Amino acid sequence: MIKTEKVLHLKSSRGRKVRVVRELYLREQVPCGSVLCQAECQHDGKLLSGDVTHYVVPDAGVVRDYLEIFEFREFRGVVFTQTACQALQNTRGRRHYNRLRGLLKDPRYDCVLYANEFQRFSYCARKMGESQEKWQTRCVYNAAVWYYNHLASLMSVVMITEDQEAIKEYGSQNSGVYVVSTREYLESFWPNLHAAQELYASIAQTLQDRENEGAEKEYSEHLPAEVLESGIKSGRYIHGTLSVNKHRAQHEAFVRFEGSASKNAELNSDVLINGMKHRNRAIHGDVVAVELLPRGEWKGRNMALTEGRGDEKGGETQSQPMPTGRVVGIIQRNWRDYVVTFPPREELQTQSRNSLKILAIPWDCRIPKIRISTQQAEALQDHRVIVRVDSWESTSLYPNGHSVRVLGKAGEVETEIQTILVENCISVTPFSEAQLREMPVNSKEQPWQIDQAEISARKDLRETHLVFSIDPLGCEDVDDTLSVRTLPGGKRLELGVHIADVTHFVKEGSLTDLEARSRATTYYLADRRYDMLPAVLSADLCSLLGGVDRYAMSVIWELDAKTLAMCSVWYGRTLIRSSYQLHYELAQNLLNGKDVKVPELAQLESSVQDQKLAELLQALKQLTRVARHLRSQRDKGGALELEGVEVRAQLDEDKNITALVPKQPLEVHETVAECMIYANHWVARKIQECFPHQALLRHHPPPRQEFFNQLIDSAKSRGFVIDTRSNKALADSLDQAVDSQDPLVNRLLRVMATQAMSNALYFSTGACPEEQYYHYGLALDRYTHFTSPIRRYADIIVHRLLMASVQSEKEEWFHKSFANNKELEEIAHHINNRNRAAQHAQKESTELFQCLYFRDKDPLTDERCVADAIIYSIRANGILVFVPRYGLKGAVYLKNRENQVVSVGDDGVCVWQAGTLQRYPDRICSCTSTGTNTFYLFDHITVRISVETSRCHSDNLHLELLNNKPHQSATTESRVSSRVQSELIEEVVRREEASIQAEVEKTRRPRLSKEEKEFRQSKAPNLYTILQEISELALSDTAFCHIKQNTVPTCTTSA
Amino acid sequence: MAGLELLSDQGYRLDGRKATELRKLQARMGVFGQADGSAYLEQGNTKALAVVYGPHEVRGSRSKSLHDRAVINCQYSMATFSTAERKRRPHGDRKSSEMSLHLKQTFEAAVLTQLYPRSQIDIYVKILQSDGGNYSACVNAATLALVDAGIPMRDYVCACTAGFVEDTPLADLCHAEESGGGTTLSLALLPRRENIALVQMDARLHQDHLPALMEAATVACKGLSKVLDSVVRQHLQEVSVQTRE
Repeated sequence: MIKTEKVLHLKSSRGRKVRVVRELYLREQVPCGSVLCQAECQHDGKLLSGDVTHYVVPDAGVVRDYLEIFEFREFRGVVFTQTACQALQNTRGRRHYNRLRGLLKDPRYDCVLYANEFQRFSYCARKMGESQEKWQTRCVYNAAVWYYNHLASLMSVVMITEDQEAIKEYGSQNSGVYVVSTREYLESFWPNLHAAQELYASIAQTLQDRENEGAEKEYSEHLPAEVLESGIKSGRYIHGTLSVNKHRAQHEAFVRFEGSASKNAELNSDVLINGMKHRNRAIHGDVVAVELLPRGEWKGRNMALTEGRGDEKGGETQSQPMPTGRVVGIIQRNWRDYVVTFPPREELQTQSRNSLKILAIPWDCRIPKIRISTQQAEALQDHRVIVRVDSWESTSLYPNGHSVRVLGKAGEVETEIQTILVENCISVTPFSEAQLREMPVNSKEQPWQIDQAEISARKDLRETHLVFSIDPLGCEDVDDTLSVRTLPGGKRLELGVHIADVTHFVKEGSLTDLEARSRATTYYLADRRYDMLPAVLSADLCSLLGGVDRYAMSVIWELDAKTLAMCSVWYGRTLIRSSYQLHYELAQNLLNGKDVKVPELAQLESSVQDQKLAELLQALKQLTRVARHLRSQRDKGGALELEGVEVRAQLDEDKNITALVPKQPLEVHETVAECMIYANHWVARKIQECFPHQALLRHHPPPRQEFFNQLIDSAKSRGFVIDTRSNKALADSLDQAVDSQDPLVNRLLRVMATQAMSNALYFSTGACPEEQYYHYGLALDRYTHFTSPIRRYADIIVHRLLMASVQSEKEEWFHKSFANNKELEEIAHHINNRNRAAQHAQKESTELFQCLYFRDKDPLTDERCVADAIIYSIRANGILVFVPRYGLKGAVYLKNRENQVVSVGDDGVCVWQAGTLQRYPDRICSCTSTGTNTFYLFDHITVRISVETSRCHSDNLHLELLNNKPHQSATTESRVSSRVQSELIEEVVRREEASIQAEVEKTRRPRLSKEEKEFRQSKAPNLYTILQEISELALSDTAFCHIKQNTVPTCTTSA
Repeated sequence: MAGLELLSDQGYRLDGRKATELRKLQARMGVFGQADGSAYLEQGNTKALAVVYGPHEVRGSRSKSLHDRAVINCQYSMATFSTAERKRRPHGDRKSSEMSLHLKQTFEAAVLTQLYPRSQIDIYVKILQSDGGNYSACVNAATLALVDAGIPMRDYVCACTAGFVEDTPLADLCHAEESGGGTTLSLALLPRRENIALVQMDARLHQDHLPALMEAATVACKGLSKVLDSVVRQHLQEVSVQTRE
């Protein structure tokens, strides 16, 4: 037992003042967490390095207000005291506290927590009448002194505080322990770290302004947390996440409730929050408590299309009244960094006359304007700046914030891309020195070699198996290979899926692992990609290239040669050498019996060549047979049709985007995909058996039936019946809904079906009841991701789990402590979030490039700005169309600001005239004096594309009706639109580079190219990578496929 | 307010203990002259007073008496000033009667009742200050009182609570930890043979975690038994010194 001493604590809690006595046990041995420790403290976890000039101890006030400053990695040797941590937790809430915890856990930051209140000599009891702040400062000072003495005066300690009295009082008490203010500290110790100083100044100013704030109430106060909690429990308030309508950010927001809202039976849709007053300071993404308004005040949502003009017409355009409410309290703020632009100069002057504050306009139009105090607004006119929101008092119309960092000039590609990344919370700093040092070396002078010990530990398949990979042409990161052979005796077939063994190189808890975990996936943007793993792994050592020895994780099945029934399965680490690195077209041509050259065989003599070719062909044929069987077996097994259809739908879209994939999806795509699904499925079964509570799986919840309404109605207008009762029924009916005249109809219907579905998600098996493991899209009871560890972090976790389960079988319960259910659930949640962010970023970057493409074209003269479009949805004052040529969607207005409507003349030319619009479920009519024009769903029209530029937000494409007939050259132009897409991006990239060049020459300073070097990790993208990335841009808004669409089509289903 | 962090990342609990450490235990025996046996015990801030009368004839109706062993009668009460908010009734409410019943069951398992047929042993326990682990403090205090009264027992009865936070079992919970919403398991153990006299758990817990929790509680009970033993020995020493003089 450890010596204990009892001390009393006074606390008051819960409404009434209650005097609570708590014990406190003090001890002498509290680890100090420093390398220099002389007293042999027992350490585990990270240590402060000894090679810094001083240790810095921020006091409670500094940690509370200026924690962000310590997020600069330049600060080293930071000691956070327990007193300060608790103060932070009590005053700023859990979110900030978790941020601090994150810092403390992250080995990249040189900071530790010192539990000063549990140390006998650094603890000090609060004196009678001493204020809490004074006491905290004294505690921190005592801790600093103890630290100094504990390290035997080897390291000087600097305490920073904002309390001037404390500086006076303690400043000269001890030599070696310095007490300075934060500003002084930054200026004297870090004179070169301007970013930190600016951040400090920005926060300080904000804090100061907050103090001298007026007292006029703009909003009603939020209710206290206890009232909210009991209100939610009793059902008076509804609890959910606020999402703001993008197109009517000022007026409409919705709350989608979570969990047990079913108590209230009448509420089966979202709750509308109308207007800023009712929204009561909640910002998009916050978790809020909502009180319903009386039924008489319920409103309908606005169905008309707007461009943010904000003129509400009321009445006619509104839908049925829906539950409407007002926000009474905020349960969890989910503020992130926002990108803003300062208002133009003229406005600035009128604004700044009465105050020093400036209302900056966020890039994301769902976020209200943010008030910032800064003197730099003039200088940063056309720049994009990152800001953070600090508070939103009930007295203020807008939230207060402070600026953090300047991104660059608005309108430049680099700035815009960075904006997209920041807005999606994606942080991709280049890999650090320390991370790269962990990587094995593979260079000409020092080629990487296979470890002898590994050879004996692994199953060696180099000589015995014919291993090959099938990927798109020019693929760099090959993470899956296949093998198939007939076992001796001829009764059994052996099918193998070999996946790159990333976990061999990326050890759990290493810096690379942490970095990969925080990235969670490789980000593909329109013109570049940000890898999850350093290039030496992703493109070289982990990539299963042809002709070299590589480590792999394998799943090998034995199948009956005749019936192809599964006999046994083996999981484990292997050593392989891929013989052929094929691409899809080549493989398909081989199968079709065409005469093609396999590059690997080019050098061999013709007789050997023939023999090898026959061998390969045999393997491919067997593989195809097996895959066909697997597919049919699963089709028979139950409602598996949807998955196939979905894949085809996806490929349908892809084929139109990418020129690489020929029109007809090749069978070999499906063959490879089938093998990967099979491997994923079996791995999921294995890890779920072995770790029933902490396995990472992926499920796809069945969609809600009401989401299918649009699909069903749209299909009805063309006479198709869509049955959505089960996944099989849906798949069958989608198959039948084919218009022989217009293949686009089926495509659009499928896109609608995809949109109606929810996303597939990763989860931990302990967090979900077993019946929810089901994957709706694939119709599998268990599914996970195993086959792409190079670009998905989930696969890395699954690899580790699989290895542990294999080892636990061999040895008697080799129990490594894995992430428990809670941690794993957190990781799964994080990966899901990152995937969503990656998806948004990709979509936004595509839109950005579309805008850049059209920006310099004159819409009136340029032929490329006129395109064919198909109507897919009808709104009150316009229609939504899809432009197949550029793969974009947009709104076409049939009524303009002057209330005139479109009328189409005999020759098809459109003019604006006075008239009325009449909307029906499947058509919209414009009646004018010259006649009535009707636009039906799925009609083809001609539109003109132009760019609407915007200073603060992203540019938008504007579509204008030209003609109600299909575009004349539509038929000739139906050449694969991906060509257009890729040309589009290429042209933008080229133009950008040219402008960079020009700028370089002009200024003789390679400013932008340096930026480019910094942010672009991969080398300048060649045509292949561009095309390949395009192929991943699915058409539908929701569909996202961060994975090569060829290997695992499942992700498209799930997207 | 954010919920309390019961176990920090550094492995400290709210009051500065580590997960397996017990609260400070102090006890005195023979605090009253009137009773046959008495003891006062502090387990952290939980303070309990136990008094034992008997064995004596069965009072009241004879029908309660058993022909082959003694009846154990327990009464548990809490001082009105024992909690942060003043209690209305010191004893007789549902909770107290349940606790009395638990104590009775515990000591029927430990006391060699068959030595005293047709007689009665009374155990009165009062909580003076409550700070979590009331049951275990009562059991420990009553054990000392029984020892003081010289009533033969199979072994010390040691009781301790254990909780489960973030997959870590915590020994000897204080009030803040008990009310934090997690699982609380109370265990009364005859430590030498590890016979369980009573085990009780109200909240839900996954089956897989139960062995770990039981293990933690067992270890804690064994630790307690050593402390109780030293208290008894100390007391004996003092008494023997006094009587010799």
